[in-house]
Amino acid sequence: MKVTVEGQEDWGNQSYDELFRRILLDLGITRMIDEVHMIIEPENSFFLISLRVRTATGAKSIHEVAKVEQKPEGAMLTITNELYAPRLLALLWRDYGRQRVDQLSRFELMVRGIKIDELEEKMLDPGEELKQKVLDAVWRLLPEGLKVRHNIYSEGVLTIAATEHDMKQDWKDLAEKIHAELESGREEV
Amino acid sequence: MYEVMMFDGGVYRINEFYELVEDVGGFIIQKSQAQQTINVTLAIPEEEKVVIERKTDELGGKLINVPLAGTEIAVVAPTLGRHHMPHPVCDIAEHLRRYGAITVVMGLARGKGRKTAQITADEKRIIEEYDAAVFVLGNFKDCIVEEKVRLFEEIEIPVAVVCGPELEGLPSCEELVCGIGRKAERMRRAEEIEKLEETAQAVERMVRVRRKELDEDPLFVHPAEIKQAIEDLDPVRENLRPAPIVLHLDGLRVKIPFAEWKDTLYDIEIYGRKLGEIANIRDASLTGSTLIDILTKCEVEYRDLKRSS
Repeated sequence: MKVTVEGQEDWGNQSYDELFRRILLDLGITRMIDEVHMIIEPENSFFLISLRVRTATGAKSIHEVAKVEQKPEGAMLTITNELYAPRLLALLWRDYGRQRVDQLSRFELMVRGIKIDELEEKMLDPGEELKQKVLDAVWRLLPEGLKVRHNIYSEGVLTIAATEHDMKQDWKDLAEKIHAELESGREEV
Repeated sequence: MYEVMMFDGGVYRINEFYELVEDVGGFIIQKSQAQQTINVTLAIPEEEKVVIERKTDELGGKLINVPLAGTEIAVVAPTLGRHHMPHPVCDIAEHLRRYGAITVVMGLARGKGRKTAQITADEKRIIEEYDAAVFVLGNFKDCIVEEKVRLFEEIEIPVAVVCGPELEGLPSCEELVCGIGRKAERMRRAEEIEKLEETAQAVERMVRVRRKELDEDPLFVHPAEIKQAIEDLDPVRENLRPAPIVLHLDGLRVKIPFAEWKDTLYDIEIYGRKLGEIANIRDASLTGSTLIDILTKCEVEYRDLKRSS
C-alpha cells in the first residue's frame, strides 16, 4: 500500500500515515487498499483523503458456497467453499439469531425452523462489506470537527474533502484532481 | 506527616493488616479486591513504616510507592468519540491509577475541531472539582497552539497537556508532555509506555507542588481522618458506587446526595468540632455527590475569632 501525506507539519503527517495503517490493520483490510493520498492543512482546517480500493471478489448466492437440504428441523447447509464460511455464518447469525443456528461441524450448519426457499435470495457480498469497512476506516481517521464534507466516489476510488466552515471551490477542484490521479493509477495497475 | 502507599497481596489474614494500620494510627484509603488478590491504599505515620513493612513481608505481599494516592485526577478529551477513546485517553487514566490516583475520564461536548472547539462554564466547573486535569490533544501544532489552548486557559486547577507534536512550551498549563497524539490501538510498546510514565511523572510534579502549597498553610485535619469518621454512615456503607469516598488533596468527595445528607455531614464530630465548622460542604456536579473542602488551620482560627468577637 502506497501512502502519501502532504502537509506543513512533519510530525502530524507521519502520525496520520501510521494512524491510518493501524486503523486498516484493526479492520483487517490492509491488503484491500492500493493507494492512499492525504492532504492535511491544519491552519485552514482542511483535510483530504483519497484512496483506491482493490476489487473484492464478486457476490455469491448461498447455493454457490453450500449445499442446502431441507430437514424436518430446518435447513441443513453443507459448506462447499470454506472461503465463504465465516461470512455465511455471520449472515445467518444476523438474520436468524445465534439461538437458531447450530454449527454441527466445521462444514455443517443447521438453521432451525426455516424453509430452504428463504435462503434463495440471500447473497454473500464481500464488496459491500469491504465498502462499509473502508468507510468506517475513513470515518475513524477524519478529524472529528471537520463536518463540512465533499465526497467523490467512482468505481474503486473514494475521495473525501473535509473542512470546518465553508467548502471552497479550490478545495473541491483539488479533490477532483487527486481523485482523477488515483483513478488513472487504477488504469496503470 | 503521613506516608501513602499501596499494599499488594492476598486476602489471607488481611484483617490482621487492617488492625495493625489502625493500631499505628494510620488509615485505609481504598481497598480493591479481585478474587484472592487485594490492593489496599493506606496512609500511615512516616515513623511506623518499618512495622508495616515487616507485616507485609509476613503476609507475602509487597508495598508499592503510590505518589498520586489520595488524589482525584480528571483526564479530559475533546469529545467522547471514537477518535479519542479508548486510546490514548483511557491508557493515560489507567496509568495514573497505577500511581494511586483515582481518575475520571471526561469528554467535552464541543471540544472537537479547530475554531469551533470550545468548553462550557459548566465543564470548567466540573473539571475544577478535581485535584488536577490532564488534557489530551491531537497531532497538529498549529491547531493546539492557536486554538485548543483556549480550552484550558481559565481552568483554576493544575493542568497537564498531552499532545503529539514537539512543542517548546504552551501557555496556561503547568506541564506539557509531547509525543503521544491520536492512537488507534493500546499504548503497549516500550516507547509508548515511556510516554505514559512521563505523563504520570508530570502529574506527580504538579501534585507535589500543590502539596507543598498546602504544607505552607496546613489543613485543619487530614482528609483521611474525615474519611474514617464518615465511612460508617449508613448511606456510605450501603453505597454501591465503586469508591464511595474519594480523597482529594484538600478535602474529599462523598458519593451521597448533598441535599439529603448535608445536615448529617455538618454535625459529624472531628476532634471535638463539627465537620461543618472546619470544612465547606457543598453539592458536587457529579450527580448524587457531596464535596467537602477542608479549611486550613488559619482559616479555622480566623472563623473562631470572628465568631467570638
